[in-house]
Amino acid sequence: MTNKASVSQGDLADSVSARTVSAHGLFAGYEPRSNTYDEHFSQKGVARKHVELFGEEFARIRPAEFRERWRQAQRLVHENGITYSPFGDPHDQPRPWNLDAIPLLISSQEWRVVSAALEQRAVLLNRILADLYGPQELLRRGLLPPEILFSHPGFHRPLHGQRVPDDVFLHLYAADLARAPDGKWWILADRTEAPSGTGYALENRLVISRMLPDIFRKCHTERLAPYFIALQEKLHSLARQHRDNPRIVLLTNGPDHAHYFEDAYLARYLGYTLVEGGDLALRNNQVMLKTLGGLLPIDVILRRPNSGSCDPLELEGDSQVGAAGLLQAVRCGNVSFANALGSGLVESPIFMAFLPQLARILLGESLKIPGVATWWCGDPSVLKFVLERLDRVTIRPAFRQRGGGKRMSERLNSLPREELAARIKARPRDYVAQEQVSRSSCPAWMDRTMVPAHVTLRAFLVSSNDSYKVMQGGLARISPSTQPPPASSWEGEGSKDTWILSEGPVRPITLLQKPGHAIELRRGGVELPSRVADNLYWLGRNLERADAAARVLRALTLRLTSEIPWAAMVEIPVLLRVVAEQGQIEPGYVVDGIKEHLPSIERVLPNIVFDLSQPMSLRSTIERLCRSASIVRDRISVDSWHIIHRIDERFRPSATGHVDLSSLIELFDEVIIDLAAFGGMVMESMTRTHSWRFLDIGRRVERCMQTIGLVKSSFVDVGQVQGPILEALLEVADSRMTYRSRYLANLQMAAVLDLVLTDETNPRSLAHQLLQLVRHVEALPRDRSKPLYGTEQRLAMAALHAIRMADVHELARFDQFEEDDPLRNLMTELEVTLPRLSDAISHKYLMHVGPAQQLSTIRPE
Amino acid sequence: MKYKISHTTKYSYTESVPVCHNQVHLCPRDGVQQKCEEHRLLIHPMPAVRGRRLDYFGNTIDFFSIQEAHHGLTVTATSRVNVMPRPKQKLKESPAWSELATRIKTVREPRFLDAYQHTFPSPNIPQVPALADYAKTSFPKGRPVLEGVMDLTSRIHADFTYDPKATTMYTPIEEAFRQRHGVCQDFAHIQICCLRSMGLAARYVSGYLRTVSPEGQPRLVGADASHAWISVFCGESGWIDFDPTNDVMPDTDHITVAWGRDYSDVCPIQGVFVGGGHHGMSVGVDVQPVA
Repeated sequence: MTNKASVSQGDLADSVSARTVSAHGLFAGYEPRSNTYDEHFSQKGVARKHVELFGEEFARIRPAEFRERWRQAQRLVHENGITYSPFGDPHDQPRPWNLDAIPLLISSQEWRVVSAALEQRAVLLNRILADLYGPQELLRRGLLPPEILFSHPGFHRPLHGQRVPDDVFLHLYAADLARAPDGKWWILADRTEAPSGTGYALENRLVISRMLPDIFRKCHTERLAPYFIALQEKLHSLARQHRDNPRIVLLTNGPDHAHYFEDAYLARYLGYTLVEGGDLALRNNQVMLKTLGGLLPIDVILRRPNSGSCDPLELEGDSQVGAAGLLQAVRCGNVSFANALGSGLVESPIFMAFLPQLARILLGESLKIPGVATWWCGDPSVLKFVLERLDRVTIRPAFRQRGGGKRMSERLNSLPREELAARIKARPRDYVAQEQVSRSSCPAWMDRTMVPAHVTLRAFLVSSNDSYKVMQGGLARISPSTQPPPASSWEGEGSKDTWILSEGPVRPITLLQKPGHAIELRRGGVELPSRVADNLYWLGRNLERADAAARVLRALTLRLTSEIPWAAMVEIPVLLRVVAEQGQIEPGYVVDGIKEHLPSIERVLPNIVFDLSQPMSLRSTIERLCRSASIVRDRISVDSWHIIHRIDERFRPSATGHVDLSSLIELFDEVIIDLAAFGGMVMESMTRTHSWRFLDIGRRVERCMQTIGLVKSSFVDVGQVQGPILEALLEVADSRMTYRSRYLANLQMAAVLDLVLTDETNPRSLAHQLLQLVRHVEALPRDRSKPLYGTEQRLAMAALHAIRMADVHELARFDQFEEDDPLRNLMTELEVTLPRLSDAISHKYLMHVGPAQQLSTIRPE
Repeated sequence: MKYKISHTTKYSYTESVPVCHNQVHLCPRDGVQQKCEEHRLLIHPMPAVRGRRLDYFGNTIDFFSIQEAHHGLTVTATSRVNVMPRPKQKLKESPAWSELATRIKTVREPRFLDAYQHTFPSPNIPQVPALADYAKTSFPKGRPVLEGVMDLTSRIHADFTYDPKATTMYTPIEEAFRQRHGVCQDFAHIQICCLRSMGLAARYVSGYLRTVSPEGQPRLVGADASHAWISVFCGESGWIDFDPTNDVMPDTDHITVAWGRDYSDVCPIQGVFVGGGHHGMSVGVDVQPVA
């Protein structure tokens, strides 16, 4: 680091005082590295001025108490399920977010200086964007080499000439900062496409402020909320129609993307609908949200996908994350994007080589904080300079491809020097060289001691009036190694909350306060996107499927571990048949002549339960349950999410991998109780919107199917109905208590069938499920002026009617369950009707028309 | 020479299409050598939305959306175009190719800057070392640029076999080059790639070609197709066209519709639709000289 222009704020803070404080307690053994600027200590045992108060307060916490608080904080991270890797890839388990216990502390005095520099940089980058997408004066005046645009893979011609409100392309900007040994800040990288990390910064704050509530307040820590309020105001102001009450959505790449956790989290925090490309439709050059209640216009899109993915008609044709015609809607002024499409252009490292000069010419000032020195190899004299210094610089691709940048850079710099030089010489304009960066350090709590870790800081800005507003905080990333910093926060080894410490008291502020506006009361939920309704429906189905599987497995395992000889238990073949019908075990286990050749069930059962290669194993069902819950996380309560998370955590084989039947029973008990808790949460804490309705429809449909399967399996191939079979049926159908209270131990077929099938007052009966389904279907949005019932209404009513018209005494006159047996007929009829009902609902409310296709074209010949 | 051109594209779908969004490059450009006197675009079924704008390269784009369920789409463009004879180029008097290449790289006047972007790789025309080698033969030191381009045009015409079966729209140019087979689109892309490898600015031109019918026979309606050729930047003389498929410098037989870096910038019809199942298409082009 040689640039002399840099400010030195660290010196300023230190000169005032160097009292020896806070060197006791947990910081006692902390030793800052030599030749490195330490953010908290100017030397061993000497805290920097702005850290003193924190140090004093922190020292009051006894080590044992700290460790307990930290354990609780980690539990919170864990329960909130903060992760940063794809949900979708089964081979890549989401890794938990790695948060450090000690916040990074920065004085507000210093942060003001950093903020001014970042505002300057954001303004400059926006000016460059406005020029390159407009008059391109910078190329004509020779201020930027034309290659910067013409060989930029992210420069999409159709985006040129778009008009954006107030010429602001860059609404959200993030910069990665590091501090050199002399205390000067440097900017390592710019993020202008769709900067990520604010959601993680929020989560970090939530956890750490809860862990250190007193210190957080006493240290006058600035709040993050003003940044998000400014963001909301900005997005609101971008609406060109419906200015009073614009519809703002967060467009995500979807649940398979690494940032989905953050997208869902932010959407909920900011109060916006989370949408995917498939939720959008274009009508009359207006972007619409596909909802249960029809198409609703969208005014502003907070964008997470890359610009090029947003419109398969005009940009990248193979993309499914955007919607065809979006760009035309932008041109017509019917929708605004934040950031504007194309904003990612200037985050390529090549621009850093030209920013110092552009700042002087466009703004008439030098950069307040310099970027790390960058040389573009496309200039022949620079190329020579770089080739002479290959050992001392880092080579990076000049044009950033979002996602693959870091690996590419690592690969390049691990090449033998001659090969690297040859690569650069072959296409010099595709490479930049950057000065190698050393970073400051900060105490981190690792393995029960304080050790110095290297820090980089991501700061966030949002455009506000003519300039930018900086978040009073940020996302600090730490790594114990001295390697160059990771290219993105997801690849770093850990993160820290960042506290900006104010001189005076900080006004508490939350997103909930909307001064001066009386809120318009709303009930409803027709705005539910069809895709979300679909996911909720499947969440409901997976819940019941898991419950049914666990209950029958428990009934079976209880009997397998009983003292009675198996041969004496007539219900075991019945239970095996149910388990086989559910697809959990091989059908061979219920076929005489085959089952003798299979390994004994009690030996294989534990493995079968956890076998992920079997799609219908209980563990597989739970995987699907967790996945469907994670997709609709922004629609279910935090407590409900914790239950799902707990099921996922607990329902696993022990660490040794060995599970015996009795511990299996314990696991079944737990999962059944947890599922019931989730069901209770749904009933008690979800408002009766369509979200709830679709979840419940899924549950009811699945419970019907399971009950039908149970009844069929209980009576097919059974010579004579015996008490133990009826007992098992009641047990699995969770109706044993009711039966006992009504009939004591007198087990009779008609009474059992009444309770399980026709008794509408039993919330477990088939009739009850069908009655609820009829009511749900009736309440779905539809054109009320149409005189006839819809298909889904007729099917639901037909099913309910069939069960109501059934005479249990006749059903109980059990006759081998052969053809013409009334019970069998009834079950078969319902078994046909219910999937049709499910299809009818899907078809009308949930189904997408399928992925968009490109028209084929004919080439000129 | 005046032409009446009609260009019809028909799509049919096996299943209903509820909505589609499209944009087309079908309106012939106006310029010094060509005047589009009349242009109409007929679309069936009737679009709910339609409009017109200019793209980055100054070509006319018509865009439209159909928002009612349909099983077929027909787009018919009819134009009347007056094509003036182009000034004769004295190939030997054009600037030396290497000096021109240097100027394209360094001069920042708007027309040079515009030309400069056509020296870079584009979506369908990457850098291909084999093509750079192929190009070098036509450009010995100091050779006038147009002479070199004409030589390259003739070589491509001689070395390559016109063969619609050999390649498809998705065949990479390396592959077409390796086979030495292809159609006008392949030849145009290959020549552009060659010229860019020399640091020259070359663009892709899409349009129509009047095919001269044999003596005594009536012209075959619909036999003509859309055509593609190239244009090379020649400094102060502007852009000069070459047609490697026919080994000619276009004159009044070529009608220009649009130009861009390659086919992807000027695709005649682009569309995205949902539903529809499978779809089929047919195209008919008719280029009729009129008095």
